[in-house]
Amino acid sequence: MKKIIQISVIILLAIACRKNDIETIEGPNLNDLYGPFSILSKLKLDENVNFTNDESVIFNMEISKQTNWEIEITGANSGASRKFTGNDRIISINNAIWKGGADAFPSFGLEKSYVKINFPNEQDAPVINDSITITGLKSDKGNFITSFENGFKNHWDLFNQTTVSGSIACSNNKAAKGNCYYKWSGLVPWDWAIGSVQIKAPGSSFSLPPNANNLFFNMGVKMVKNTGPENCFFQLWFDEDDNGDGIFDENTEDRFIYEYWYENDEWNLVSFKYGDLKYDANGDLSVVKGNGLPEPSKLISINIFFLANQDSGIKSEAYADHIIFTENESYKP
Amino acid sequence: MKNSIIALIAFCFILKLEAQNKKFQINGAARSYLFTNELKIDQALDSITPKKSNYGHNLLDLGISVFPNSTTEVISMFRIRNELGGFWGGGVTFNVRQLTLKGVVKNIVRYELGDIDLKMTSYTLFNTREEGITNEAEIFAIRRKVFHYDLFYNDNYWRMQGAKVDFTLLPDRVFKKISFKSYLTRQRATDGLTKPERLYGGGSINFVKNKKLNIQLNSYNMFDLSQTASIDSSKFTNSVFTSNFNYKISNREKIALKLYGETGISNSKYLNYTNSDAPSSISDWFYDIASSTHFKKKKFRLEIGVKDVGKNFRSPGGQTKRINYSKSPGLYQQFTNEYIGREVSFSDVINGNAEASFKISETLMSYNAAYNNTNPYGDATPNRRGVYINLEWLDSVKIKNSYVKLLFLQESVGTGTLKRKSFILSRIGTNIFINEYFNWKKILKINFGLQNEFTFREGETYEKINLSSHFIDAGLSYEFIPKLSFLIGCKFWIAKGNEHLIIRDDFNTIINFNMIDINFSESIIATGIKYDFEDKNTLTLQYQSFNLKNRSVNGIDYGISEFIILYSLFF
Repeated sequence: MKKIIQISVIILLAIACRKNDIETIEGPNLNDLYGPFSILSKLKLDENVNFTNDESVIFNMEISKQTNWEIEITGANSGASRKFTGNDRIISINNAIWKGGADAFPSFGLEKSYVKINFPNEQDAPVINDSITITGLKSDKGNFITSFENGFKNHWDLFNQTTVSGSIACSNNKAAKGNCYYKWSGLVPWDWAIGSVQIKAPGSSFSLPPNANNLFFNMGVKMVKNTGPENCFFQLWFDEDDNGDGIFDENTEDRFIYEYWYENDEWNLVSFKYGDLKYDANGDLSVVKGNGLPEPSKLISINIFFLANQDSGIKSEAYADHIIFTENESYKP
Repeated sequence: MKNSIIALIAFCFILKLEAQNKKFQINGAARSYLFTNELKIDQALDSITPKKSNYGHNLLDLGISVFPNSTTEVISMFRIRNELGGFWGGGVTFNVRQLTLKGVVKNIVRYELGDIDLKMTSYTLFNTREEGITNEAEIFAIRRKVFHYDLFYNDNYWRMQGAKVDFTLLPDRVFKKISFKSYLTRQRATDGLTKPERLYGGGSINFVKNKKLNIQLNSYNMFDLSQTASIDSSKFTNSVFTSNFNYKISNREKIALKLYGETGISNSKYLNYTNSDAPSSISDWFYDIASSTHFKKKKFRLEIGVKDVGKNFRSPGGQTKRINYSKSPGLYQQFTNEYIGREVSFSDVINGNAEASFKISETLMSYNAAYNNTNPYGDATPNRRGVYINLEWLDSVKIKNSYVKLLFLQESVGTGTLKRKSFILSRIGTNIFINEYFNWKKILKINFGLQNEFTFREGETYEKINLSSHFIDAGLSYEFIPKLSFLIGCKFWIAKGNEHLIIRDDFNTIINFNMIDINFSESIIATGIKYDFEDKNTLTLQYQSFNLKNRSVNGIDYGISEFIILYSLFF
């Protein structure tokens, strides 16, 4: 009897040692692979959001299984778009918070925005539609230069070929951000140069931070006519006042030139680190007349120059909008 | 080739002369094997595959043990195989089957070099028996013995290449005897680029306290020598450390009581793998404790045990399967008009047509849930826990090898869900000597085995599993003329239900499940005669008919009939 008790105690001890991982699953969850789809808690959105006041839109939803989901927000007027994707069972502040930005230009305006949520891997899942009205735009972080919203400034300059109209256009929902943008349009069969607008610093400089290595130049561009990969491009001139006399001398001071060639017919964000202007597209040192160092604090003029193929025989058209410098990262439209 | 054979014969002749001085021994095997197969399948399904095939071989394994001195033995075995139909040496192969050097140093340390057989415990290094055997009939056992011999599946040993050493100390104090065993083998040769050399080494120390108690420590390591490949080669290591004990609690007139068990840990590491799915390190542990009660007067033994093997317990030496179910079998590898790879049936398993393992596999190999779902990787199957009960009746003159084995296991951790699969496996077997009941001199023996297995899991529709599998293994042998026996045997396997087959990546991580429906019946009926020239010298003629009825969607019904003539001699 004593022996049997001993054995029983040992076996009971062994059983007591058994691991009991009741909350652990080995492998992918069967519910996610084969379980039925249902929405456990519905999406609830406010009617309005004011991003200027640091408000944000949080998409709170709970679904029955871990599956792919897509949230797409589209501006009713601007056509701006912001998309969130994920593969979580719970959609929350951790994976779907909208702070007013778009994935690319154009940016959202003060407009109604449509929200569409779908679950591409679930055949029987409903598509959820809702809307929210933007009553205040998100605040941009950075050194804002212009978005052409307040007209042509007196200290700016422009150049247009005789057959080209180059000016600020407004109120037709075509801007990258806001209502206005700069537009060139015309047929120039004798020259690549179409037109330019020179944004000069209001004072002695644009008051940019001195470190070129974490400062990004950003601008929206859109080439819409006489387009093609080798047919049109923007040339951006960055003139620096190296000697600090308030005047740019192209024979003794730095003019860094950046070229952006056509990629598509949509608004595109041109964004690069200002310090990268030290080198040209081939990686060689840029040929400039000054000290050769990109120095944002000495920048006194940005010339936006649109060029297109003179031999194509058709009218050229392009837009530019929203020039802004940002630190450490590219601009988020 | 011709010169090699002449040289071998000359060598044997010389050795025969030497044999008079007992400097060597000759042993080996010879056999002649002739097959005639026919695939039986609906002509509409398969009008392409040649249905009939005839082949066979003659084979001689010539083993020579040379004793250069009293403490050394050199074992070599050569295999000459001649495919039937070969013409004047065509189809003849000549291989070295075994080269081993054995010896004893100072009458203390025994060593073996070359081809060695290794076995430890069922959780460390153990060649677990394949599926499809539950007290098998003699007609099947004859054929199985041949392919087990070919694959070096002696009991549960793995044949490896390397070295092993063992010796015993006899201290007077705490322990009566301490035995040491160690080995080192090569599992894989480097390709010089990305795959480094892989070694497998380990050993055990057995402390014998007295006749009642012994405790053994076991350990092995499987590891890559990363410096043997390019600098940035990956490195896999697996180490297992276990301890087992055996304690004879009492041994009285009516009853004998024994307690034994094993517990241990494993750790696997994947270093410098470019694949981000590779876990840097996984560890887990297990225990298996049982008691055995021998009721002497009632002549039966009762074993009750509990076990828990963690989901991440990885012991390639104990978990490698003999059969590779992911590869099509050698016979009728592809069939049907769509050239579908034929899946391994249990006919292939028991006849040796399935691809067999020669090396220890670091990955958990695929298995057929209908054949064995409870412990597909033997005792060391990970993610299993529960109890087992074994009843074994001691042999009598009339009835031998009778047993009932029951396993009630459950997953330690749910796979794909919090709900866990449960498994019930029962095995019953017995050999009945009818002739003893009637005092006949000629042997009339019935083999009977029955296996039932149930897998189930409750839950939502997509979680539910209900799989049942029933296997009958029966046969009769009757020596109707001295040395001439009539043999008949049958095996039936019926499985029905559903299962979520586990799909693992190269690192044994579960990445998906394959929801399958199983509904088939497989049967083998075999009959034949056997003539025993001597104890290890047999001629058998057999006819075997295998039929598979697959009732699941897209299942293919087919059958294979086979006539064989097998002459085998072991000397």
